[in-house]
Amino acid sequence: MKKFDLIGKDMKRVDTASKATGEALFSGDLILPRMLVGKVLRSPYPHARIISIDTSKAEKLPGVKAVITAKDMSGDKWGVFKYTQDQQFLPTEKVRYVGEEVAAVAAVDEDTALEALSLIDVQYEPLPAVFTVDDALAPNAPLIHDVYPSNINIHVKIDVGDVEKGFSESFLVREDTFTAPEDSYFQGEPYAVAAQFDNAGNLEIWMPNAGPHLKAKPLSNVLKIPLNKVRVRKITIGGAFGGRSEIAPADVICAFLARKAKRPVKIIYTREENTVATRQAHAMVTTIKTGVDKEGHVVARDITCRMDGGAYSSTGPIAVSVPFLCMEQAYRMENIRYNGYRILTNKPIRGMFRTHGRAFACGVDTQLDMLGAELGIDPLTMRLRNARQTGDYTPTKSFVASCGMTETIIRTGEQSGWKEKFGKLPPFHGIGIGTNSVQTGFPMGIRGGSQAFIKLNEDGGITVITGIVDNGQGNDNMIVQIAAEELGISPDDVQLISADTEVTPSDPGSYSMCETFIGGNAVRLAAQDVKMKLFKIAAGEFGVGEDELTARDRKIFVTSNPEKSMNIAKAVRIALSRNESISGEGSYWPNVDAKREWVKNPYGQLSETFSFGTVIVEVKVDPETGQVEVIEAWAAQDVGYALNPKVIEGQFEGGFAMGGQGGMLSEFHQWHEGRVLNPTHLGYMVPLAIDMPKINNIIVETIDPNGPYGAKEAGMSVAMSAAQAYSGAISNAIGVYLKDFPLTPDIILKAIEGKGKREQ
Amino acid sequence: MKKEITFTLNKEKTIMEVDPQWTLLHLLREVLEMTGTKEGCGYGECGACTVIIDGEAVNSCLYPVMEVEGRSVMTIEGVALKDGSLDPIQQAFVDEGAVQCGFCIPGMIMSSKALLDKKDKPTEEEIKESIEGNLCRCTGYVKIVDAIKSVAGGR
Repeated sequence: MKKFDLIGKDMKRVDTASKATGEALFSGDLILPRMLVGKVLRSPYPHARIISIDTSKAEKLPGVKAVITAKDMSGDKWGVFKYTQDQQFLPTEKVRYVGEEVAAVAAVDEDTALEALSLIDVQYEPLPAVFTVDDALAPNAPLIHDVYPSNINIHVKIDVGDVEKGFSESFLVREDTFTAPEDSYFQGEPYAVAAQFDNAGNLEIWMPNAGPHLKAKPLSNVLKIPLNKVRVRKITIGGAFGGRSEIAPADVICAFLARKAKRPVKIIYTREENTVATRQAHAMVTTIKTGVDKEGHVVARDITCRMDGGAYSSTGPIAVSVPFLCMEQAYRMENIRYNGYRILTNKPIRGMFRTHGRAFACGVDTQLDMLGAELGIDPLTMRLRNARQTGDYTPTKSFVASCGMTETIIRTGEQSGWKEKFGKLPPFHGIGIGTNSVQTGFPMGIRGGSQAFIKLNEDGGITVITGIVDNGQGNDNMIVQIAAEELGISPDDVQLISADTEVTPSDPGSYSMCETFIGGNAVRLAAQDVKMKLFKIAAGEFGVGEDELTARDRKIFVTSNPEKSMNIAKAVRIALSRNESISGEGSYWPNVDAKREWVKNPYGQLSETFSFGTVIVEVKVDPETGQVEVIEAWAAQDVGYALNPKVIEGQFEGGFAMGGQGGMLSEFHQWHEGRVLNPTHLGYMVPLAIDMPKINNIIVETIDPNGPYGAKEAGMSVAMSAAQAYSGAISNAIGVYLKDFPLTPDIILKAIEGKGKREQ
Repeated sequence: MKKEITFTLNKEKTIMEVDPQWTLLHLLREVLEMTGTKEGCGYGECGACTVIIDGEAVNSCLYPVMEVEGRSVMTIEGVALKDGSLDPIQQAFVDEGAVQCGFCIPGMIMSSKALLDKKDKPTEEEIKESIEGNLCRCTGYVKIVDAIKSVAGGR
């Protein structure tokens, strides 16, 4: 490969020094002149009719500047898709979960705002509520929304090949059911929004987001103002992990309060509000039937998944599909049927999440281990035999342009000493493997592509203008790295204007792991556009062809004769004096099938490319306490090309902690009648530094034909494959296949006890 | 009723009128507008609000403001060197790729700085224990521990 100055190197992220000094501002850190404190009144009932809301006492409280209810809004219902428009930002008729927004106030300080909330009198008529998928589907269950019969919100049906014939031709068929409760994000930063209007009616708003343009359009709709008056500003974002992509009631409420009070308003969610009233991830029950031949190749598979979606649609059609799609990408399967149901309950709203459901991926993988055990084939070999390959089509008709799945399996296997360990470890000592795949974007309508602009200054420095957002994963650095590499300048020469809807062009957002592939390609093309314009000028000066030039070290020179050179600054000055445009523009539209739709037509190219990965973990289980000690882990992913290896390692390690250590050992919510009993970090038991094992990172590169420099995405699959590896390793250690996640000590002890009884 | 307190804040003598009900975090963020210290939970679980008081890392969200009287408080704003360059521990976080979203980082740096100021060569276990009250959801803690180790080893 061509040698690069910045690409492929461990570049220090451009955004991190200001984070290390505390200077980086998050939404909750903003202080605006005359700013008010916003607070939200929430439903104490899981399901109730709103009879009346009396805000008169709150409005009279000194210091209260605005009170809003549904009356202040148009009553419009929001949804990611036309067919899922079911959520009002403040409801008019009913509340559907404990914690749903009912009214809001803006006041001069927090104490006054809280007192005002206590003065709002809401009369409710409690309604029967449902808290589980089974209860929601029961014949006489109360309907949460009139438009969803039987509380079935979404049904995704995929049917490829001949599944029944496949089962009849299989050597061995198994059917198992796997369950997992909902998971929570626990982003470091609690949700916060600040909003203000200027005297021309322009909205400025700051909030954590996974795509500023995804927030701007619904704000424009609900506020009834044109898009060019909605200025979602760039701000440091404290994590997303699949959440924070959609418009949130807090965004809309904050804007309405600011407009009504004619003053800036800031709402900072408490940790409990962040847990309950942003998004959670789906609880699910997954039944998987798989038929294999004698060698362990999957012949047919039938999956039915019932997901607890909570009270509203959110990103439902996507969330129901992606767990399945990840697995159909990861493993070859010709005859496949999937029925994914999203069922509504009176619980907080569920959205997209990094691991896409523990009971799905872990179910597919655990069952593969079980089938292998019956055939006498070890789990690693089972995966090698079923691994996706470059040039394949997935069952739902996506072409796989590059795939390093087999290499990730082989390299994790070799480095972990799989052959020497599997089946040969002492009792209560186990090893497990998980493999998975993720997308680099979806068909996203008009938001599917990204554009970037580059402006040159007469000193040779540039400003890159792009809609790409950084949630913490390092996208800002990726932009700077690509632009500086292409133009042969230093990262210090690059200024970044990004994720601001006033000035930056459309971009899909960091949602769906697409920013490097789609946004990165757009930035690269914009930089190449600028470079060609500069080369045209230099070529004229040197009397050579444009293809004979190189840009490096802030200079343009003749490649074969570097003495013949000019500073980029000089080329810019020549262009300016000749009135020649040297601004650059780049645009990238991924090769996806625009006709593909989650429910109506789930076939066609889903994403231009996919990443693939494997995790192996080795564990010891204490049979007395059920505690799991992870001895060591090996995490691999085919990232296409590692633009910044250290950043990618960080993504692997973070994904491992969330999907594996936290997601499989400790994290779950406890409930009482729709109320979350453990909304806090330690109640939910997110992993601590002392919990983490040694992780060996293995970066696999396949050089994707269309990714920027061959890059795809940086480590998302590790969260899922880590969960799968934990599941396999613990099952291997105790000699019982576990089907209910997370694998808490009580579940493990019960399994060990059950095994003991069976053996007696 | 507000009361006057005198303490040292980032090496400067500071006299403030405070409400005795405030926490130290409230004084820092809401009154002094020093927003480098973060609030991630407000009840002492996440460590984003960690500051150093007389050499000890503490959660400022739980620390009654009146207790600050006569003490020396260091916040993230007081860590960088006088010429504006980063303290070695801050630099290590940047160099080792330990910073992702960054919300937990000021607290992490304060906890690890408190350890390193007390102990020249802490063990890996002591390093992990020093940040066991600082929660990070992005990094899996690996590069954070690497960063602290790199400073500890370099001393």
